[in-house]
Amino acid sequence: MGTTDTTESTTPATEEVGWETKVRYFLNNDLVRSSPYWGIPFLLMGIAVYGGIGFNTAISLTDARGLQSPDYTNLDFEMYTQVFESSAFLSAAQNNLVLLVVFTTVCLLLGLFLAVLLDQGIRHENTVQTIYLLPMALSFVITAQVWLWLYNYDVGLMNIITRGIGIGPVDWIGNPSIALGSVIFALIWQFSGYTMVVYLAGLRSLPDDQFEAARVDGASTLTTYIKIIIPQLKEASVSAAVVLMVFALKAFTFLYSLTGRYRPPNGTDILATLMVRQAFKLGKWAYSAAIATYLLILALGVIAPYLYYQYRQGSL
Amino acid sequence: MADNDRPDVSTDRRKYMAALGAGIAAGVAGCSGGDGGDGGSTSSGDGGSDGSDGSGGDGGSTSSDGGSGSQWDTQLEVLHGWAGGDGEAAVNALIDAFKSEYPDMPTKFQAVGASANVNLNATILRRMVNGNPMSSFANWPGNNLERYRGNLMDLEADVWEAEGYKDVMQDRAVELCTFNDQIPAVPLGSHRMNNLFYNIAAFEEAGVDPESLNDMPSLMDALDAIKSETDIAPMGQAMVAPWTVLQLWAQVLQSQAGVDAYMNYIEGNGDRQAIVDSLELVKEIQQNYITNDASTSSFTDMGGKMIAGEVACMHQGNWLAGQFRTDDSFNFEEHWDWIPFPGTEGTYGYHIDAIVAPANNPSPEETIAWEKFVGTTDAQVAFNNLKGSVPLRTDVDSSQLGDFIALTYEDLTSSDRYPPTIAHGLAVTPEEMGNCKTAMSENMMGPYDVEAAADALLSAVSN
Repeated sequence: MGTTDTTESTTPATEEVGWETKVRYFLNNDLVRSSPYWGIPFLLMGIAVYGGIGFNTAISLTDARGLQSPDYTNLDFEMYTQVFESSAFLSAAQNNLVLLVVFTTVCLLLGLFLAVLLDQGIRHENTVQTIYLLPMALSFVITAQVWLWLYNYDVGLMNIITRGIGIGPVDWIGNPSIALGSVIFALIWQFSGYTMVVYLAGLRSLPDDQFEAARVDGASTLTTYIKIIIPQLKEASVSAAVVLMVFALKAFTFLYSLTGRYRPPNGTDILATLMVRQAFKLGKWAYSAAIATYLLILALGVIAPYLYYQYRQGSL
Repeated sequence: MADNDRPDVSTDRRKYMAALGAGIAAGVAGCSGGDGGDGGSTSSGDGGSDGSDGSGGDGGSTSSDGGSGSQWDTQLEVLHGWAGGDGEAAVNALIDAFKSEYPDMPTKFQAVGASANVNLNATILRRMVNGNPMSSFANWPGNNLERYRGNLMDLEADVWEAEGYKDVMQDRAVELCTFNDQIPAVPLGSHRMNNLFYNIAAFEEAGVDPESLNDMPSLMDALDAIKSETDIAPMGQAMVAPWTVLQLWAQVLQSQAGVDAYMNYIEGNGDRQAIVDSLELVKEIQQNYITNDASTSSFTDMGGKMIAGEVACMHQGNWLAGQFRTDDSFNFEEHWDWIPFPGTEGTYGYHIDAIVAPANNPSPEETIAWEKFVGTTDAQVAFNNLKGSVPLRTDVDSSQLGDFIALTYEDLTSSDRYPPTIAHGLAVTPEEMGNCKTAMSENMMGPYDVEAAADALLSAVSN
């Protein structure tokens, strides 16, 4: 009879009640009573994110361009096929994919490496940790300018180093075949500290027993990390990867700050910069909305397999 | 038990949250209502979903500001891109002069800064498509106005004819401000495009006589001499963005093949061989005679290098003189001087800054008064003296102008040819200009492919 206790608040359905009572029951419902707490964020989120995506998709199906309002009477996927005719779109998509994958992967690996090193109980641990994390506190506007100086052909630090080790000066930004690599390198510099902190928190939460048990069983340090520690950092990896991907998409800010305009250095054009150029320089709204949709699909496509894997593992 | 003392608290909290929710809803409704109300367009959602749009609310407040009892009851809102340096000083001089002329008019002058007007143009486009136009904005006239086609206010009768500006402005300025059979703009000033600025000490050290530079071969010889005789980089060329390459090429083409070859090109009938030849020279210059750090340098970086004596000469519109002027230790005719780009004597590479008025103007009367003011001699002298550009009125007494500007003003009124600039909106439409920049960006900023650049340039203007 434990169930009667829980149904106490709801009146038995057999009893006839007036509409006022029904309204009162409805208003006393847990879902309704708690709605101010979940409802407002839900609404804001719904309008700002999903409303935005929906509106973007709607525009991409029209032929909107210039200063006329979009005409929603004649919807088709013309823009989605049209973008593929442009070589600029294809190279931007390719650059975007490379940026997403390389930046996220290297950041995760480097962050993990640094976290493991820091977890060895070194001296001045907090100071070192802060030093690694600080770049993330800086705005892209600042780091872009700093890297522009670092990459300067004549006086930049990077070329002082390459000259020192005998490679000779490199045109980091001007050479289209390495410009994207230079941008990714700068972004990694800025964000590997963040992954380090995420992994460090994960490492700290692991009980020391596991290290000790592994050692008793005769596992080497390397084996301990690869077989025991790293598999337990999956949640940290997922959350860090998602955040990193968001920042990879925000690379627009970095590229924009490098040149001060919507056209990034040759060879580093990504979908976001292409989209903004087409939309806000030329007013090709529908065309750029289609690019934006592809950008969303690209981001989802990269993260989806990993999320699905995590879901199957029960980690999500 | 916990339930017993909850109702009181949660009632209060609920009321509070409900009030908060209502407040947010009202705010959202107010924002989008303001947007929609302005233009009656279906795009009010645009303003709502656009996180960066702080200006939507601004627009809404415009109409509430009047009521001061004067004849001006609507706020004049002007957007411009002069957010720093000599541009800011110049526009402030213009604004001060306007305010002392019209002390009763409520005004709002907004600088939307960033290089090359990117933010300004994006803001204008966004607000116009949202049906929330401003009173007027600074922009290039000519083919640049293509992006606002059908959405501009005709000032021909109310400003141009009322003030007789067609008689006092340069004919070609009138022509370039005419768009789609209307005159939606009033020109403010003109920069000269075909300049070669040089560091006097550097030229002397290399034994280069600037007077002898009158065609491309003599320029190339001079660059070669500077390279072999001195440690100074012969030429400064900023290549962080392709517009500098585009405008250098336009000068080389005019110098080598003549102004007609350039005019034919922008009209879509370019001579491929002439274009290839001129691109070859640009390639030769950029590969051999410029600084190594071009790809990370802006033109102001290069201007700084010229002031520091690290660069001997550089091609740029005469806004560069504005940068030199701010350095007290680097003086005109003492440390730096200027010649027309070699081979373009008698030509004035034409550039115009103008104040453009959009249709559905929120303040037609105020806009007309402001546009009339922009065309006055006082306004043009006040602005251009600080900006380093020259007035487009033909009746300005050049003694009112600074030394360098007065020289340029004389050239403006007495040159033989006035080819419109390609990298600054006059010659081709925004989309064509974008394609020209892409052509340069992909083929002329390393690795070089002159043939591909020529084809891309030709197809960029073929429509």
